[in-house]
Amino acid sequence: MSNSTLTRKQALAFAAPAFIAILPFFVACLYILRFSLSGEQGRIEGFSIDAYRNLMTPFFGRSVWLTLRLAFFATVIALMMAVPLAFLLTTLKRPVARRTLTVIILLPMILNLLVQAYGWILLLGPSGALNTVLRNLGIIDRPLFLLFNETGVLLGLIQTSLPLAVFPIVSAVRAISQEHLEAASSLGASNWRIFRDVTLPLLRPALLGAASICFAFNASAFAVPLLLGGRRVQMMGVAIRDMISPLFNWSGAAAAGMILIVMTLFLMIFSAWLVRLTTEKTKG
Amino acid sequence: MSDTHLHIDGITKRFGDVTALDNIDLRVERGAFVCLLGPSGCGKTTLLRIIAGFEKASQGRMMLDGTDITNLAPHKRGFGMVFQSLALFPHMSVAQNIAYGLKLRKASKAEQRDRVEELLTLIELPQIADRPVSALSGGQRQRVAIARALAIRPQLFLLDEPLSALDAKLRDSMQIELRRLQQKFGVTTVLVTHDQTEAMMLADELVVLNDGHIQQAAPPSTVYQSPANPFVADFIGAANLMPATASAAGTLIVLGQDTGLPVPHHPGSTLRAAVRAENIQLHSVNGSGQGMAQVEFSRNLGPVTEWLVSAQGQEIRVRGVTGFGAAPQVGDQVNLALDAGRISVFTT
Repeated sequence: MSNSTLTRKQALAFAAPAFIAILPFFVACLYILRFSLSGEQGRIEGFSIDAYRNLMTPFFGRSVWLTLRLAFFATVIALMMAVPLAFLLTTLKRPVARRTLTVIILLPMILNLLVQAYGWILLLGPSGALNTVLRNLGIIDRPLFLLFNETGVLLGLIQTSLPLAVFPIVSAVRAISQEHLEAASSLGASNWRIFRDVTLPLLRPALLGAASICFAFNASAFAVPLLLGGRRVQMMGVAIRDMISPLFNWSGAAAAGMILIVMTLFLMIFSAWLVRLTTEKTKG
Repeated sequence: MSDTHLHIDGITKRFGDVTALDNIDLRVERGAFVCLLGPSGCGKTTLLRIIAGFEKASQGRMMLDGTDITNLAPHKRGFGMVFQSLALFPHMSVAQNIAYGLKLRKASKAEQRDRVEELLTLIELPQIADRPVSALSGGQRQRVAIARALAIRPQLFLLDEPLSALDAKLRDSMQIELRRLQQKFGVTTVLVTHDQTEAMMLADELVVLNDGHIQQAAPPSTVYQSPANPFVADFIGAANLMPATASAAGTLIVLGQDTGLPVPHHPGSTLRAAVRAENIQLHSVNGSGQGMAQVEFSRNLGPVTEWLVSAQGQEIRVRGVTGFGAAPQVGDQVNLALDAGRISVFTT
């Protein structure tokens, strides 16, 4: 565009460091791709699709299914929590209140993950706060096992991905003009109908964008399932690590990594396509 | 016979310490086209938003056909509104936009389609039903927004500076269009504008607002010819406001000249006279004689010519039909003849 502040050449020049920073990642991806096609488990030698063929086990299938399921539910729940938070953030008029809420939402990104995991254990562990309260109230006899299983991992994923969902939605909520909502109201729409017929459709591109970011983040999660699920919750990140660390199956880990990357990419392309489809409907 | 449709009864609106509207009383006749006119910040938009239900009045009530609607939610009022930004729904087609109010009223599909078709024909855009809103030109959007508001057969038709974003030529044709549609539907209409030409052209009743008060509410010709106070005189048609006084004979003296207009004030009382530019004639003073005023500026606008003259330290605007003869030029000495029948006299 001629009226932007940087010409394309200038922008390209300034973006060069970013490209240099991203470059090792691409190289690593290519390296992993090559390793996954290696004939040997421990080093790159020859070509073979054995690594992929060896992954076609019920165990790995369960891991893929678990990853997709947990990432999906964590994304949906995070989005459902993010929408009201985004609205709350846009309705706060006092800068202090707005900044405080922003920091609270961002806290999981600022805090070290180990600290967070420790917090979860204090709260949800067998002798943690929640179980103690429930037991003292006589609601339960034996502690609920909320950690080191899928529930714990799900909670952790929701918490870590929530900030990623909130901020894209906040800017979309800000972009909705008050007059659109008032127009719907003058035509006879109740608050609920306005939300359903006007607000949500206008938020749709942002919701899909936030969902794809959250999903990619959750599907590739490694630390959360390891810390809050232990070995028992074999999300793909954990499964890949186990292949490397006790088993030294480097080519298998590389193949599993490639599958994870391709799956995530596919879902992101799918959601980008959905965004285009829905915005095209609005634009023509 | 008067038939009050909307009665605004002592409406006051305060925002914190600021009083935006102060005890507004207004009766709107059924089927009338009312324009709320005033400078920005006069409270006209706030009044419209209170009528629509988007703002709550701090005091006072509002009656529609004798029913108190002060606390009725906006979506239950059934008023069609056209917004300054038009606020067409970008994710809906033209037809979906127009039919949205009907859909909420649970009208059948056939009914919705017929009504959309009827309205699109009325706004002379029959082929655009399936187009997305973004594919429309400014004037088309304007019409669709009007059609959407009228589709629900509104009790009141409210418009918030709907034409301000259009260029002058389009605005002119939309004003005619708007007036035509309003008369066709016979819907009671309240339009907010800061453009006095637009208000004069559209309104049956002109409500001039300033500082949260109604300055004058009357038909446009009345407002123009007998402004209620100096503000209205100045705001509508930019009249010249001049210091004046009453003579011993009870006539009005302006710029030291007896106009012969009888006034009911005590001789010598301080008055102000408002005279419009077109109600003053210039007479050139021949030779090197001294006149009442000196021409400071003149411009020929084609059919009319405007002059700024200074008399007794006051700048006075004069407008006249461009003649064939020699017009007074800058620097000329002139005498002013005020049309006594067109002078408004104020004591404040």
